[in-house]
Order: sequence, then C-alpha cells, then structure tokens
Amino acid sequence: MPMGPDRLRSTAAIPFWRDVRVLGVLAQIALAIALVAGTAWLGRNLLAGISRLGSAQFLCADGSSHLRCLFNFMNLPASFDIGELPIDYETTDNYWRALQVGLLNTIKVSVTGILLATLLGAFTGIAVLSNNWLLRSLAHGYIDIIRNTPLLVQLFFLYYGVILALPAVSDSLRPGLGIYLSQRGIALPWPVFTGSMLPWLAFLLLALIQFQVLWLILGQREQATGRPTNRLAWAGLSALAVAAAGWFLVAGFNDNQAVLVSRGARVGQARSTLEGLEALVLDRLRIASLSPADLEQVGPEALQEAALKVCVVEGSPSEPNLARLLRARNIPFHMEDFDRADQATAAYAEGECDVFAAPRVVLAGERGTLENPAGHLLAGVSELPVVLSLPSLEGLNLAGGARLTPEFAALLFGLVLYTAAFIAEIVRAGILAVHRGQSEAARALGLTEGQRLQLVVLPQALRVIIPPLTSQYLNLAKNSSLAIAVGFPDLVAVTNTIMNQSGRAVQVIILVMLAYLSLSLAISALLNWYNRKMALVER
Amino acid sequence: MAPLTQSAAPPRPARPLLASALGWAQENVWATPWQALGNLALLLFAAWAFRGQLARAPLLASVIGALWLAGLLWLAANALGHRPDPLSQWLKERLFASPPSALLTLVIVLWLAAAARGLVSWAIVNASFAGKGEHTGATWGVIFANFKLFMVGQYPAGDLWRVWASLALAAALVAALVLVLGPLRGRLRPARRLLTALWLLSPVVIWLLLRGLSPGSPLPPVETRLWGGLLLTLILTVFAIVVSFPLGILLALGRRSQLPGVPAWLTALVVGGLAAYGLWTYTLPGWPHATTVLERVLLLWPLWLALAGVLFQRAYRGNVAAAASTVYIEFVRGVPLITVLFMAQIMLALFLPANFDIENAYRVMWGIALFSAAYLAENVRGGLQSIPKGQYEAADALGLSTLQQLRLVILPQALRVVIPPITGQFINLFKDTSLVTIVGLFDLLGIANVVIAQPDWLGLRREAYFFITVIYYLGCLAMAQTGYWLERRTGLGVR
Repeated sequence: MPMGPDRLRSTAAIPFWRDVRVLGVLAQIALAIALVAGTAWLGRNLLAGISRLGSAQFLCADGSSHLRCLFNFMNLPASFDIGELPIDYETTDNYWRALQVGLLNTIKVSVTGILLATLLGAFTGIAVLSNNWLLRSLAHGYIDIIRNTPLLVQLFFLYYGVILALPAVSDSLRPGLGIYLSQRGIALPWPVFTGSMLPWLAFLLLALIQFQVLWLILGQREQATGRPTNRLAWAGLSALAVAAAGWFLVAGFNDNQAVLVSRGARVGQARSTLEGLEALVLDRLRIASLSPADLEQVGPEALQEAALKVCVVEGSPSEPNLARLLRARNIPFHMEDFDRADQATAAYAEGECDVFAAPRVVLAGERGTLENPAGHLLAGVSELPVVLSLPSLEGLNLAGGARLTPEFAALLFGLVLYTAAFIAEIVRAGILAVHRGQSEAARALGLTEGQRLQLVVLPQALRVIIPPLTSQYLNLAKNSSLAIAVGFPDLVAVTNTIMNQSGRAVQVIILVMLAYLSLSLAISALLNWYNRKMALVER
Repeated sequence: MAPLTQSAAPPRPARPLLASALGWAQENVWATPWQALGNLALLLFAAWAFRGQLARAPLLASVIGALWLAGLLWLAANALGHRPDPLSQWLKERLFASPPSALLTLVIVLWLAAAARGLVSWAIVNASFAGKGEHTGATWGVIFANFKLFMVGQYPAGDLWRVWASLALAAALVAALVLVLGPLRGRLRPARRLLTALWLLSPVVIWLLLRGLSPGSPLPPVETRLWGGLLLTLILTVFAIVVSFPLGILLALGRRSQLPGVPAWLTALVVGGLAAYGLWTYTLPGWPHATTVLERVLLLWPLWLALAGVLFQRAYRGNVAAAASTVYIEFVRGVPLITVLFMAQIMLALFLPANFDIENAYRVMWGIALFSAAYLAENVRGGLQSIPKGQYEAADALGLSTLQQLRLVILPQALRVVIPPITGQFINLFKDTSLVTIVGLFDLLGIANVVIAQPDWLGLRREAYFFITVIYYLGCLAMAQTGYWLERRTGLGVR
C-alpha cells in the first residue's frame, strides 16, 4: 500500500473552507444577500422616485396616502375614448374597465390569429412537401421572406401601404362572396342567430345523440359480423337528416318575427305578408312584376323613391332575416337603423318608414304605445334559425355583416402571415419526422390513405409538432402588443394611455406584466394539457 | 391447376389511343368519387383563374396557356410512345406529376406572371428615379436623396470618417479571423491569442470611436440621439449580442446549478422574521383602514412573502442561483419586448438614484440585451442538457476545477450543439431592434418613418419600406450564412 495506514484512518475532517458542500451553501447565502441587497436598493430608489412624482401616487379613498392604496387610482374615471369595444364602455367608466377592454381586445386578436395562423401554417407546411415544384418554391419563398424581415415593418406595410391605400367606402373593392374591402376596413358576411335558434339547438342535440347511437350500434355489428359497415356515412347522413328536418320544422312553424304595418297598406289582405309588401311596392312603381326586366324600365331615382322603407333596431336579427326575404323576392328596400325600439317606433309613427321589423313580442308592446293601435297590423314573417347578414352600402357607410376595422385587420393579417411562416416550418419538420417505414407499413397493412394519415402519421407527427407550436402561439400573443404601432387599442395601447393620463407608471407596468404573464401561462397550460394527452399514445 | 410455366407470351396488341387514355384517366382522375370531385373542382378553379387573367392580360395569359398545353401534349406523346426523354422527365417530376398538380401549375404560373407584371411595372417601367411626378409607379428618388439618413441617421457629416474607420476595423478583424482559421490554420498560435484579445477589445474601441471622448479632443463626442439608421440598428444588435451572450450562459448555468441550497431553517428564520415584522408594523395597523379586497390583498404582503419562501424551499431546495435564474428567465420570456422597452424607458429612471440620468439609447440597448439574455439562456440550457454525465465525471476525474471543467470540456461542446438555435435567436434579435421605433429611437425603421414625413417625399411609404425590407432581409441572410459557416467549421453533426 502506497499510503500509510495512519493517512487512511486519519480522522482529521476536511477543513470547512475546503469543503465543497459548505462552500456551496456559503456561496448561495452570499448570492441571496447580494440579491436581497440589490432589490432593496432598487426598491428604495423606486419608492424615493415615486414620491418625487407626488403624494397622489398612493392616495386612498379616505384621502390618506398608504402603500396599500397602490391601485386605488384605477377606480378613477378613464375619460378617454377607445376605438374598438368588445364590451360596453363609456368614457365615464373607470380605468379597470378600460384595462378590461384592452385585455379583451388582445385576447380577441390573439385567439383569432392563432386559429387562422394554424390553418395557413398547416396548409403552407403541406405545400412545402408537395410534389409540384412551383408550389413548393412558392411556399419556400413566402416562408423565407416573412421569416427574414421584421414583423413591425410588415405591419407598417400592411396598414399604411395596403389597407389605408384601398379605395374609399363608396368605391369599395368587391372581390366576391359578399366581401367589401375599403379604407375603413373589411366587411364580411356573418351568420346571425335568431330567436328560433334555441328550438333548432334541441334538434342539433338530437342529431348528435342519433349519431352516437348509430355509431355504437353499427360498431357492434361490425365487431359481431366482421363485415365493414359504412359507419361514418350512415351515422353522419342520419344525423344530417335529423338536423335538416329540424331546420325546416323550426323555420316553418315559428311565429317569432313580424312587421308592424298600417292597415291602410292592405298587407293583411294578401295571401302572405311578403306578397302584400310586394304589392305595396308594385303599386307605387306602377309596373306588373318585379322582374329585372321590368325594374330596368324604372329609373334609379324612382326606384329609390318607391323602395320599401324598413325601420329596424341596430344589431337585431330581424334585419338580416327580413332583408333575406325581400332580396329573394327582388323587392327594393331601404333599412333605417335605430339604437332602441322606442326610437324606431317613433320614426314609424311619423311615417318615416313603411314597416317596423322586430320580434313579435317587441312589436306587440310597441304597438300599444301608438296613438291608434287598432289601425296597425302585426303581419308575421318567417324566420330561419341562422341568417346570413350581408354587408351592404348604405350611403357613405357599410351596414350589416361583420366589419373589421383597418387597425384590427392589419394587425390580424400581419400576425397571421408572420406566425404561419414559422408554423409551416414546424409542420413540415413534424411530418418529415415520421419515418417513411411507418407509411409503408401502414400501406402494407391495407389501410386506406385517410386511415394512414389519421391513425399512423398524424399522431406521431403531432407529438413532434406540439411543443414548438406552443411557443409559436405564445409568440403570437406577445407580438400582438405591436398593435400600438397601428393604433389598435390592445392591452399595451390602452395601458399606455392610462399611464400617460394617470402618471402612475410603475403600477400600470406591474398590471401589464401580470396580464401578459397570466395570458402566457394560460396558453401554455392549455397546450401542455393537450401535449400530455397526445403523448399518452406512447408506450 | 394452371401450368406453372408458360410458353412465350403472345405480343401485347397495341391498344387503341382512346382506350388507353380512358384507362389512364380511370386510374388517375376518377379512381374514387372523392378524387373525381376534387379534380373537377380544381379544373373549374383553374378555368376561372385562366378566364380572369385572359381578361386582364390576353397576350400573356394565352402564351402561358399555350406553353402549358404544349408541355402537357409533349408529356402525353412521350408517355404513349414509351420513350421518355430528359425534358419530359423534368416536366413530369416538377410540374405535371398528377392531374391536380398540372392544374395547380397553370394557376400558379398565371398568378405569378400577373404579380411579376404588376411589380415590374410599379418598380421599373412606370417608376421615376428622381422626384415625385406624374408617373404611376414607384418614386425611387426618396431612397437616393436620403441615402445618408438611411445609413447613419443624423450622424454629423464631418465625423463620418469615424463610421468608416469602425467599418474598416471590423472588416480587418473579420479578414484576420478568416485567415487564421483558414489558410494559416494550426500555425501562429500567439497570433490567435492576439486576435482573440483584439476581438474582445473591438466593441469598446468602436464604441469610443463612434461616441467620442471629451469635447476638445480629436474625437469630439457625438450624442447618441444623433445615431440612427442602419448604424443604430447594427449598434443595437451588436451590443445586445455582446452583452446577452455571457449573461445568457451565466443564467443557463445558474438554472442548471446543482449547488447545495440554503438550509431550510435559515430560510424559515429570515423569511419568517421578515414576515412577522411586516405583519406587525404594516398589516395590523393598516387593516382597519383597508376598504377593498385589493387593498387587503396588498396589505397581506408578509403572508405572500412567507408563501414564496415555502415554495422556494419546496421547489428549489434552497438553491438561490437556480431559483433566481429560473424566475428571471420565465418572467422575461412571459412578457413582450415592447413592455420591457417601455419599462426600460420609464421605470429605469425611477430605479436609479435621483441624480443619475442615462440617455434613452442606452436604456433601450440594455433593455434589449437583458431581454435577449433570457431567450439565449434557454438555448444554452438545451446545449448543456445534451452533454452526457460522463463528460462531467471525466473532467472531475482529471482533477479539473469547476471553471476549467466548464471552459475546457462542457461549454465548447454545449455551445457547438446550439449554434443553429442561437443563430436563429440572434436573427430574431436583429429583427426585434425595429421595435425601438415605438419608443422614439430612429433606427432603420424609425428613420424610414422620418424620411416619408418630409414634405418632398410625403407618403412614399411603399418605397421606403421596400428598401429597408431588403436591407433587413440581407442582414438576416448574412447572419444565417455565418451560422452555417460556423456549423461547418465546428463540424456540427459530423464529428
């Protein structure tokens, strides 16, 4: 033995200044002290700095000043306007409400953006793998240019160079499908739910149950006989049949919608309300029918003059519902929007419009307020559970449909185009990560192409795709803060205004950061849950 | 039973043209109802696109249509004759692989041609290369007239040689590096040391050159608010890279550190003591005055402090380095850069003593660098995680100290692995510097907005944004190429 037994048996402990464990703890304590001291120094400076800004920073309700009243200023009235309101907001509401509006705007653009970016990204990712060289190169070029230029430049370009460069509302571009593009943004057709949606929802539920039951029964038969039954087709078709039957039943036998019309117009004597309205307009125009050829003979001024004038409450489903019926019969009409039902009634009473369209219950109440209720008739019109509200040009404004402001449109499309390029790369990598042997094995087992994708390729690809996808979603949510560059009132823009107006920089920044942190946590929690679900497929 | 061997098969009769075409279509066009439907839809779509382009540019569209048809016929003729030549091979592989692919080719070529026509007529044919006028295309004069602004902002014209000198210094250093790593590889060890030192020193030298010394000296100071354009963008990027790289490594090491933690009793003592003191002096006296829930929650801060202490011991076993790094990284990664920039702009002044003022450009520079460090730390951590435990153990067995272990064994391997993500991160950083426009700095984007606000060039946004987009694109391309070069140099994925 090279060393003496004395050295081996030496009981002399390692001196503590050479013991790694002790040194480690000491280093940690030193670090902790440094961190605490640094934080304390910064905190003292901060408090001193804030007190330089004035004693109103921590003003309490009772007039005293205390640190606990850090956020009390948020109860003051905001008194600034916000361009886009997902919820009701007045300038007399407090800062909390304004903050809420900003947060909801951020969530709105983030969620819509995530959905659209996923679609476009998946499509582009598949296009990159296409067997068409042109499509492949096009997708590559798109990804390359978008990924290598700053998002902010793209946003500026989209907002100032594209959307604000569109024609004025009166010369809107109409690329088809009822879409209007103009300087004031984008208007799209949008489905509106009417009062008969609720009964139809019951039918939809029934259809869902029907689908499930048939699916299970046919599945059991498949198991028993070993012969494939076309499960999806049978279950799907029967569910569709139930839903369609429900649609026609609900549309045929509901009595929700009506128009208020004077008895003098003799609408009640016609076979249906619509025929009565048609006769009314025909009388005024003095022509035989409303066919395009006959309408051609009438001048545009006369047509404008004779058009059926309809009073409606803004945003009520009665408007698109009646518009749909009138359009189907080619009856020229003009809609007057009012904020409240009583305003519309007043306008009707003064003869500003021929009919007032609203749900029957509303009309029954409103008729009672008229001078001569018996002189007016409630004429029923049919109603569909869902009607498509089409945008249309009303003078210098667009009415109906869903309207995206230029700011929202620029931000949304900027974020979608940018993030989709990154998602495309992720999707491509995910699909390529599934070994070719997997596809070959699936084909060898006799799976159809759809089954191969659904059962073999996608589950494995998704496992690779989801983690990086999560971080892209988070990036999109965080990048939505660039809204401030195009003037969309998101969280950062609203809080910036609050900060400038109230002079409480620190408090506001704390709130913004908390809001973003919770948003990020929510998104990553959601996708982590999904990721775990997908990962369970693993052995 | 059929005989296993057969005499020579009779020669296959030549199928009539129509039958063979039908057979082909049966296989490739309407094999299933879904395929037939999809092909029909695509056919209608292609016809619609062709009609649209025919109405706009009849000549171009008909030439494209004729070429497409010719390609198709050529392919069909070759297929019928069973004599594939290189051209038909090429066409089949790239453009006419299947019926949908062929239709897609037509649509894409038509639209690409339309887009190219529009772009060329805007950028060249109808463009003016001087001032605004009656033309309908671009006005490139805005770029030529403001070139200096785009490049260096309002940097004094008499001091421009300093920018050139900095560029020359950087170029010389790059050239020396290429020489030392390339032709002179393996020789000149001292030269490598010297070069490393020069590289480390160069940011300071360049900064001194650009910023200047005292007013009377040959290098009079140039205020940072005069820096602008591409120069500012590059300064922001380089500064953020230089600062965030070491900081990111430190944070990553901190997050992964396995140091023994602060003992629980010590944490309990300190945090508990603080919490008790806070409860006694703040919460209890203030409680009766608190009116809202929020006020009460804020008043209870000692409780939240105690909770944080418990969490700290539970999750990190008292490891301050890991806890602090993790909290920093996750916090910064959870908020957008723009809020960090606002914070740097507004709150930094509050965090520092009253008489301590920092120029806006420096605040923003530090904001970007500190932000970037958190992202870099995560990349480096990925590299550290890829190093097998054996490497640490081998280094320990060799008797290397912790620092030597990191410098000689761990970091060279870990950093090599993460060259691709770090390159991506630096490219993001370069792009993100454009956000300083929002906080009032005149970087490339900011100066573009200034240029198009001049009365002579009012509203020429497309031209200005197009120009800076090209610059950003080239910058990103250069960074990506450097990344690939580094990957090859270090033999990533090969060795």
